[in-house]
Amino acid sequence: MIQLYNVFKTYGGNIPALVDVSLVIREGAFVFVTGPSGAGKTTLLKILFRWENFDSGQVLVNGMNIGKIKERNLYLLRRTIGVVFQDYKLLPHRTVFENIALVQQVVGASYRALKARTWEALKSVGLSHKKDAYPLQLSGGEQQRVAIARALVNSPKILLADEPTGNLDPEIAHDIVKLFERANEQGMTVVFATHNHELIRKTNYPYIALNRGNIVRA
Amino acid sequence: MIQTVRNLAVHFRTTLNNLKSNRQVSFVTIATIAIAFSILGLFLVVFVNLDTFLTTWSREVQLVVYLEDAISGKERESLERVIAGNPEVESVAFVSRETAWENFKSTFSAKSEFLKSLEINPLPASFNVQFKQTRDRVEKIRQFAETLRKSPGVESLEYGEKWIGRFEKFMIFLKVFLLAIGGLLGLGLIFIISNTIKLSLYSRQDEIELMLMVGATHGYIKTPFLLEGMAQALIGALISVGVIKFVHLHMKLQFQDTLEAIARGGGFLFVSFSQVLFLLLASAAVGWAGSYLSINQFLNSIQKR
Ligand SMILES: Nc1ncnc2c1ncn2[C@@H]1O[C@H](COP(=O)(O)OP(=O)(O)OP(=O)(O)O)[C@@H](O)[C@H]1O
Ligand SMILES: [Mg+2]
Repeated sequence: MIQLYNVFKTYGGNIPALVDVSLVIREGAFVFVTGPSGAGKTTLLKILFRWENFDSGQVLVNGMNIGKIKERNLYLLRRTIGVVFQDYKLLPHRTVFENIALVQQVVGASYRALKARTWEALKSVGLSHKKDAYPLQLSGGEQQRVAIARALVNSPKILLADEPTGNLDPEIAHDIVKLFERANEQGMTVVFATHNHELIRKTNYPYIALNRGNIVRA
Repeated sequence: MIQTVRNLAVHFRTTLNNLKSNRQVSFVTIATIAIAFSILGLFLVVFVNLDTFLTTWSREVQLVVYLEDAISGKERESLERVIAGNPEVESVAFVSRETAWENFKSTFSAKSEFLKSLEINPLPASFNVQFKQTRDRVEKIRQFAETLRKSPGVESLEYGEKWIGRFEKFMIFLKVFLLAIGGLLGLGLIFIISNTIKLSLYSRQDEIELMLMVGATHGYIKTPFLLEGMAQALIGALISVGVIKFVHLHMKLQFQDTLEAIARGGGFLFVSFSQVLFLLLASAAVGWAGSYLSINQFLNSIQKR
């Protein structure tokens, strides 16, 4: 469950990134966030796992009032959320396997569980044969799938995906949406930021449209 | 608990990797620490040895109470009773004028025909007072000497107060000097290590940010860098212990004979085991402090958005 009430956010300068944003995303929902470049999609997602602060308003995620969480307890919030970043954020000096396993390591999984779950995540995105490759040896679509496997490996309650089909051709984009649908079927709440209207039309999920930080359609 | 052990294993591996990937910077840091601790350690060796000399010498200090030639038998007896009655006194020996003169002559006669021909005895009689071996022995002697000075029949007192006093003052100065140098070096090293760790942190900034994003605790992020700082400082300190030992052995070979003569049997000492341990612990603390500063600053800079 995600709830925002009158959220404002400005980065240093004068242009606001979010203006009076209020919205509710129910548990288990699949929701698109759309809007032109600079509309505030990434900002919205970053606020949801408190990577960015907001200036005013209330944000509740999984029952936590995230504006009130102490810095040192933020990890509790972040462990309930999986994120696929717009720029992937794969570590170039670690193999595909290590990139995914890192997330398990961080939460203190046993080596046996770590291996099993990493392997499972790799298989679910169809990349088990690339486990020893380095990210830069992969195509864009493959890197994206590694990023997705990493976001799924800890079985989060919420999956935030920032432009995960960005510059992939329509067929691969469709496969990737399939991956999210499968996660959604298992009960994960999916928030999917994209400016690909084609995708939204074809899949028929609800969407939230932003423009210059304002909600224009919820 | 199992998780802690598991995390620790991961942290140790990360620390090793960090040290390896920042080889050059780590090397410079370790070398700097080794040099700094070597200087400090050599001062410590000098201090330890001087301190030992002082104790050896002060152990031999005895109080000599010279008596007036005109002292009466009664006065002498009461004086002896007062001295023997002091609980700090171990033994008191009376040396008559004649014995003193004989001793003196037998010590120096070979060198001087003049002494043999001297007919009068210029030496006073004395009590030679040995004190029990306690830590504040010299101070006890000093106090007792002051109470005796005014007693009837006492001509003068002697216990080497002048040079012991001076030596003690010098040792106090040396102690303060050592502490000051130790403190300054410690601060300098904290600064150096914090800089090295800062470089290490920035070289892994992406990884740290990612780990924070996926729910790493602050402790999880900090531990490998704290270990890295402590490892650098400890390695540096261990090298310095080697350097000190080497210099010590060299000095011992060169100067043992001379030193033995001065220290009357005491050899040239190395710093004690507990002092080595202290040096190592201090270095670990310095390494920890240096890393701690950088990591906290770094985490704050990431979170201030
Ligand atoms: N770190 C930042 N510092 C300053 N301004 C920022 C920062 N990140 C985003 N902005 C500004 O905030 C506004 C919203 O940016 P945001 O990244 O949320 O847009 P977006 O909808 O994700 O765009 P895109 O589709 O291009 O990814 C923009 O005007 C952007 O310039
Ligand atoms: Mg964006």
